[in-house]
Amino acid sequence: MSRLSQDEKIQAHWWRKSLIGVFMGLSFTYALVGIFAWYGPGGINAPMKVQFNMWIVSPIWLTIMSFSFMFKTAFTAFRTLLIANIIAYSIFLALRWAL
Amino acid sequence: MKIRGDIIRTYQKVHTWTGIIAGLFLFIGFYAGSLTMFKPAIEQWAIPTTQTAVKTPNDKIDQLVLQAINKFDKAKQGFIVEFHQDAASMKWYDSGGGRGLRLDDKLVYASLNENQEIETKQATKNELGTLIDQLHRTAGILGTVGHEDLGVLILGVAAALYFLALASGVIFLLPTLVKSLFALRQNKGSSRFWLDSHNLVGIMSLPFHFIIAWTAVVFAFHDPFYGGLSVVYGDKPLFERGERSEQTYQLSELPKIEHYINTVKTIAPDHALKSLEFSRLDTASPSVTIAVQTQTQMMRGGYSDYIYMNPFSMKVSFSSVPNDQSSAYNPIVKSFFGLHFGNYAGDLGRWIYFIMGLMGAFLFYSGNLLWLEKRRVKQPQQQKSSRIMAALTVGVCLGSILGVVTTLVATKWLYLFTQVVNISYLYIYYAVFASAIIISFVKGAAFAAIHLQRLIAYTCAAIPFSTLVLSQSNHAVELTTANIALNTVAGLFAVCFYLTANKTKQRSLSGDKNSVWAMKASSRQEKEKSQVCLTNIRK
Repeated sequence: MSRLSQDEKIQAHWWRKSLIGVFMGLSFTYALVGIFAWYGPGGINAPMKVQFNMWIVSPIWLTIMSFSFMFKTAFTAFRTLLIANIIAYSIFLALRWAL
Repeated sequence: MKIRGDIIRTYQKVHTWTGIIAGLFLFIGFYAGSLTMFKPAIEQWAIPTTQTAVKTPNDKIDQLVLQAINKFDKAKQGFIVEFHQDAASMKWYDSGGGRGLRLDDKLVYASLNENQEIETKQATKNELGTLIDQLHRTAGILGTVGHEDLGVLILGVAAALYFLALASGVIFLLPTLVKSLFALRQNKGSSRFWLDSHNLVGIMSLPFHFIIAWTAVVFAFHDPFYGGLSVVYGDKPLFERGERSEQTYQLSELPKIEHYINTVKTIAPDHALKSLEFSRLDTASPSVTIAVQTQTQMMRGGYSDYIYMNPFSMKVSFSSVPNDQSSAYNPIVKSFFGLHFGNYAGDLGRWIYFIMGLMGAFLFYSGNLLWLEKRRVKQPQQQKSSRIMAALTVGVCLGSILGVVTTLVATKWLYLFTQVVNISYLYIYYAVFASAIIISFVKGAAFAAIHLQRLIAYTCAAIPFSTLVLSQSNHAVELTTANIALNTVAGLFAVCFYLTANKTKQRSLSGDKNSVWAMKASSRQEKEKSQVCLTNIRK
């Protein structure tokens, strides 16, 4: 493995990456949980499912936060999570509108 | 496994900072959580037998209930029937009751005398078990935000940081994991030893730690999470409103206790009935909370599953016991609770959780020590941040333990003088806790670590001692399995803390002179002097 040059390495950007992970990670999480809540096993009306949905928010969110420090810069973190949010919410809203 | 150096360094930083911020809160949460595993045993030991309910044979309990609700207004509003091995007991709240923690709830215990007439005695409800649980959930931080405890929210944030610390710890440990997981190097200096044991404990109990971190976050922030969920649910309500029944009932229509026992047998055949708590009997929305217990399945509460029903119509409004209508999500959600409470494998499971909890506390303590070791500089005075962190680590961790142990000893003796014990628990805990922190800052971490560990040892030893002394008096201590176990464990901890105190003292005198754990030069000189004297005498 060749040595990485300075700008190939991960840039610190602690605060920006943390905030991006917290806010954009949370909104992405809710898109995933929303899709699961409506179209996952049992549909929206399955008994107790609302509690299950609430429970899975935090592990998904915290996992995204854990990995948001892997991005090279705060900007790549922002760009990736933005695209992920757009895709997830497009699917969610399209399903809601179509079904 | 190869991981890029910059990733490792990044996650080392994440691990350090999340750990340092959250560690002390989590330490208290973990060791107090370990104690809550045996909340019933602690309560049984803490409360003198003269203060507990008198049992009534099962076939007489209906007679007792009938007399009570005819004679006492408070019992008309609600009462509790508890079922023991071969008998039952009845009590109700004379003041207080309901949810939330108060320190002056008055209970009335009822029983039948030889003439089959009702007899009552009043007692202030002992809250020691609940207070330890409160310490577990809030780390002892007082105050409320809205209807939630401030401490719960702070611990929720700490638990989220803890999740990040676990994830980052695993990431930067991966490259060396296979090579050095079971290496417990004792000959490479104390810092190596702490690091190896920190890694070993962390990796070995990783699933437990992830589960605790996750469930603690949910327990703290379920309301905001539901709030977010209501957005993606749109017009769909999260919870179905239960329809209100318009029918009102007379107290005389209340079914016999036997009827509830039989009903529970049909709706929860694998469970044993623990208690019936009747409430709001004199209102339009009466309710009975039925607590049932199993030793081999996950339960929704710490020690029970719950069924809520209308006590007159027997219509179930909520049940955590599986039934025909439950979906696949029921057992999954229940397992999240059960995995936090460690209630699915009887006492053996609780012992395992107890040990895992203590190991968790050790993880945070050793994490802080490692941070200090890493920052140690070769100069007489360590950095200010190191000295503060050392004093905080020792003061908070050992101070909190000493506070709880002192409270445990005090409860036995307090009852000799007063009935108002609950508020004394708080005073004792916070006084000891605050003194420990002050001593750590004034006299330094080294001094405090040695002496606080010694004090914990002596206080732990005072638990079995108190049991022995007081079992001779009329404030009898029953010799149950739970009591014997509690006293034995206290004795074991006394020995452990005494040994570690000596170990700490050894290091303070002969370890690195510049460390925060070294005693001041003066006491070292004294030691050297005394050694010189000794050798002179020997000559």
